[in-house]
Amino acid sequence: MEDVLLLAIVGALLGLDATSVGQFMVSRPLVAGVLAGAVTGGVAVGAGVGAVLELYLLVSFPSGGARFPEGATATVVAVGTASVLAGPAALPLGVTCGLLWGQLAGFSVTAQRKFNGRLVPDPTGVTAAQLSRAHLSAIAVDALRAGVVTGIGLVVARMTVTPLANGWPLDIEESRALLLMGGAVSLGILVNDLGGIRKRGWLVAVGIALGAMGTLL
Amino acid sequence: MASGRRHRARSDGDAAVSDERPVPRSLSPGARIGTLLRSLVVQGSWNYRSMLGSGFGYAMLPGLRDVFGEDRYALERALERHVDHFNAHPYLSGVALGAALRLEADGAGDEAIRRFKVAVRGPLGSLGDGLVWATWLPLVALAALAAYGLGVPGWGSALGFVLVYNVGHLGLRVWGLRVGWESGRDVGAVLAKADLAGQTARLQPWTAGLLGVVLGAWVAGERGLGGLSPVWLVGAALAFGVGVAFGHRAWRPAAVVTVVAVVVLSTWGVLS
Repeated sequence: MEDVLLLAIVGALLGLDATSVGQFMVSRPLVAGVLAGAVTGGVAVGAGVGAVLELYLLVSFPSGGARFPEGATATVVAVGTASVLAGPAALPLGVTCGLLWGQLAGFSVTAQRKFNGRLVPDPTGVTAAQLSRAHLSAIAVDALRAGVVTGIGLVVARMTVTPLANGWPLDIEESRALLLMGGAVSLGILVNDLGGIRKRGWLVAVGIALGAMGTLL
Repeated sequence: MASGRRHRARSDGDAAVSDERPVPRSLSPGARIGTLLRSLVVQGSWNYRSMLGSGFGYAMLPGLRDVFGEDRYALERALERHVDHFNAHPYLSGVALGAALRLEADGAGDEAIRRFKVAVRGPLGSLGDGLVWATWLPLVALAALAAYGLGVPGWGSALGFVLVYNVGHLGLRVWGLRVGWESGRDVGAVLAKADLAGQTARLQPWTAGLLGVVLGAWVAGERGLGGLSPVWLVGAALAFGVGVAFGHRAWRPAAVVTVVAVVVLSTWGVLS
């Protein structure tokens, strides 16, 4: 359990990147998975979980005021959960925890934004000091929020799924395939966003051929 | 920093404020760097009331201090204009920051500055969403996923993603602040000439091709469905078709089905 604190700190930093600070996209699941994996001592597991979640969240953008699954904290929870599970159950149960926790963490982002609305000063008569204090406080609260959300998520997810891991019936390849079927929906959505299958179908087909050939090299 | 002296008179309700002060023709290096760094946290206090407004005001402070010098009264009146409601794509907020600072330095009136910000916030939001969230981010993420699917180690794919993505990201931020300051109220013409929508359209075929590479690598590769029963491939093809047919409406049901499938399978495994 001692890694929960470390992972919560990673979750806090990555949660900041998602909206408040930088948006360098180190909060994207693939990167967050590798970073969380480095903390738990399993970069390969972290990358595997992160890649699957990246596929799911490929069509989820931090755009405007929309509520979206929070990928950063969700990925840290997913990797932190997968790291304590043995065998083929680690990937599907970790990813499932990530998908669920991402939704819940999204509500905490919405709550934070409402809180920020009360924190920022009214424009009339605002001073530079008041504005700076409120702005920096909001960033600090966001870090705290992301850290707490990650920590709670880890504790709850580990307690919940650990008893389920031993009975997982699929092998590791089938487990990955099951998750990739859901991820394929995201790729279809992205084709839709890019103009639809009629407009982009031949490019996708060329890409599929190249990708399949690439695996043979 | 070059400075000139000009008469500053506000054409709005603040007309009583008329003074002589040095107006910078160029922001000092410190103010430029300060504004750029603060633009990185422009969404730090994002909220449903003023949206980006408070962050916008916070990011403008180094530049406003350069423009208004020791005149705290004028600085805080300017701050009132910029803490008000505003929204834009965060990476392109520098365009509005630079242009608004230029308008302040040129002594534009309160109403003119407010009108300018209202005029640019929509285009800066939609252009940024289209170029960055809907095109650049998926393009680089797909490239990283393709690399991972083709056998590149996870850390290498992640590192490559961060490096390549941020070349575009930081380049856009630096460019935006520069053209905003240089163009002031004429920044709309510069944005039109830069043809960001056209750049988006030109990148999208590459995104579609890379999406295909990811599919191909995951269908045939060891990190995907390679070597498994064709049933899984048929299932993945159907899922892909559902995404194409229903668009974003399909995302949540797909995630729910995945979660339910995993929970049912694991519970069944424990009970049996």
